[in-house]
Amino acid sequence: MTGTSASSTITRRTALGLFAAAGVGYIALGPRRSSGSRDGNRIVVDYWEKWTGHEAAAMKKVVDAFNQSQGRILVNYLTMSGIDQKAKISIAGGDPPGVLGLWDRNVPFFVQCGALQPLENLAGQGITREYYAPALVPLLFTGSIQVCAPSTPSSVALYYNREIFREVGLDPDAPPETLEQFDQMIRQLTVLDDQGNVMRAGFLPSDPGWWSWCWGYFFGGSLYDQSTGVAHVDSSQNIRGYDWYQSFPKRWGLERMRRFQGALVDNPSPYRDFFSGRLATTLQGPWLPMFMEQDLGKDVFDYGACPFPVPADLRQPGSPYGPIESDVLIVPTGAPDPEASMEFIGFTQTPEMMELLNSGHAKPSPLAESSESFRKNHPNRAVMMHEAILRSPNGFTTPRIAEWDEFGDALGSAIDAIGNLRSDSATKPLQRVQVEVTEILQRAAARRRRRGQPDPWEGTGT
Amino acid sequence: MKHDSTPVGLLWISPWIVGFLLFTVIPVSMGLWYGFTDYTLLEKPIPVGLANYARMLQDDVLLTVLWNTALFAGASIVIGSILSIALAVLLSKPARFQSFWRAAVFAPSVLPVVAVAVIFKLGYDADTGMVNSAINTTVGWAGLQGPNWFGSRFWAMSALVLMSLWAVGPAVVIYLAGLRDVPRQLYEAAAIDGFGRWNRFVHITLPMISPVILFNVIIGIINAMQVFAIPVIMTGGGPDRATYFYSMYIYDQAFSYGDMGYASALGVVQFTIILVLTLLILLIGRRYVYYRGA
Repeated sequence: MTGTSASSTITRRTALGLFAAAGVGYIALGPRRSSGSRDGNRIVVDYWEKWTGHEAAAMKKVVDAFNQSQGRILVNYLTMSGIDQKAKISIAGGDPPGVLGLWDRNVPFFVQCGALQPLENLAGQGITREYYAPALVPLLFTGSIQVCAPSTPSSVALYYNREIFREVGLDPDAPPETLEQFDQMIRQLTVLDDQGNVMRAGFLPSDPGWWSWCWGYFFGGSLYDQSTGVAHVDSSQNIRGYDWYQSFPKRWGLERMRRFQGALVDNPSPYRDFFSGRLATTLQGPWLPMFMEQDLGKDVFDYGACPFPVPADLRQPGSPYGPIESDVLIVPTGAPDPEASMEFIGFTQTPEMMELLNSGHAKPSPLAESSESFRKNHPNRAVMMHEAILRSPNGFTTPRIAEWDEFGDALGSAIDAIGNLRSDSATKPLQRVQVEVTEILQRAAARRRRRGQPDPWEGTGT
Repeated sequence: MKHDSTPVGLLWISPWIVGFLLFTVIPVSMGLWYGFTDYTLLEKPIPVGLANYARMLQDDVLLTVLWNTALFAGASIVIGSILSIALAVLLSKPARFQSFWRAAVFAPSVLPVVAVAVIFKLGYDADTGMVNSAINTTVGWAGLQGPNWFGSRFWAMSALVLMSLWAVGPAVVIYLAGLRDVPRQLYEAAAIDGFGRWNRFVHITLPMISPVILFNVIIGIINAMQVFAIPVIMTGGGPDRATYFYSMYIYDQAFSYGDMGYASALGVVQFTIILVLTLLILLIGRRYVYYRGA
């Protein structure tokens, strides 16, 4: 009896001891909010970015230059997949990195949630709205406050195979200026076999299909009115744009188009049809020549580029149309040393660093002006055309709203239906999306009211 | 004096208690709470009562994902059960290399699901995939051709259902164990009474393994209602949301659209649906399932 009681007492002591040890261990080693780390005397700023390969190498040059330029801060570049979602989780968990490299379309959500810190130091460096290419300004500023800084911007244009142009008797120095001319060229550039199978396509709006939201804009439409907060998905211009998109499976046949796009080509990249000469023209970003060189070799592919043509009645010489997007840098809320993060971002915004980085990405400079040497030595011979789109009043972006991901998914489902001919025209699918998107926007407005947040079209100050 | 062993017992299971509290009780409770809030993950949750649940009544996308999930669950469970019972019956017969065949049926289920999904995605390619090559080679002479698996709503769903059969191995193993428990003398008595093979299967085998069928169907429902990784990799939910499933919708609401409150409410409803279906099947099972010892 006594023995049992003693062993029970010892066990309780042991239990208490174990719990106490676990508690001490948790306090000593458990999770905690990051208060910043140091490397010797230097503040370490973790920088999460999405790039790998040559794109990461270009940014690492900038990071190295910053680390060598001073002895107080050390930036640690880390490649991260699924960065936008990991960014949200890290901020929610109270342990974000010092600098985050996101896409511009992520920014409105972060702004709305107060999840990023204004880049107040940049104004002190003389960086104002005028410092940047005009089309980028709405992506970077909320009212007069700069919320993010561009890293690599891009505008999207029509790339064409000059050799094929020559082959069919077209002048490679005279790319299409209007959509009507382009439609005629597509017919000339397309090669069908005896059974009507597509052997070479003049153009395919679904290849690679990365900017499928943009077709209405080329016809003068827009998806969303930034000044009123109203969606216009089923506007006549958008319907016209997506009817044009649908005209390709209609003219060649869905099955033939599918077979053409699914055919085995000795190149697994998304550029395979264009690089192999099976596609004569393609909608692409300025990075294309970089991948040409990587896949095919230097100066092997004879390409040309021009702004994507629009209907003759919309054409404005000197003001090209085209989608615009940008990778951006933000300082998340809760970043351990925001001043150090902002100092690094300020460094990246100097003309020298912007040109170094964007040459490495084969993209245009985000600044209002670029140097002669940048344009002369740029890996993309059409860089000036891309810069012209960035500075054009007709450059366009995805709607700058926190709900774009949901909006875009709803639109994507309709584009699927249009492209797969599940509807005679684009009208009904776009009307369906208009209803869905209106509900999304109404819900978002109710949420803003609940949280006492201003509507995004108030105080954009663009 | 009576010795109270409770503290010692609690101590020994304390790692489990701590884990259960930290990783189950607290997250589930928070999920329940978030279902009644407007929560973006990046801002404080604001209570909104039943608004998230009321929203579900008018959510057309939710209807789509519910229908898709039900369709996938129904088809994959029915076809999967028939196939796994058939395989189990075959593998229960004495045969050369029996262990090898059993291992071969089970082996696919130990492969990483992401790798399998990528391989199947390539295999289903309309022009260069192995599936259509096999179809065209075997029945091409009759003018039949493999479909564009991911280009049509019907074939995309069919592709996913067929792919789900890849992992019937665990169910087959459980059926095999059930088959071993069927008393031999029942078959012998039936043979004396003139029962053929089919009648013996229907009137002896199926009733005797009915508890195993019940178990596998419940596990199948739980898995099918939560299908996620394979459609994300293979179809991304397309075409036109034809393979957009419930768990994908929860994920998108939570992490892509920043609506953790609605996602939590959807999660609660998903749990409720699975619970109700399980109870319903257990209720039906009372009538149709035969427990030998009962």
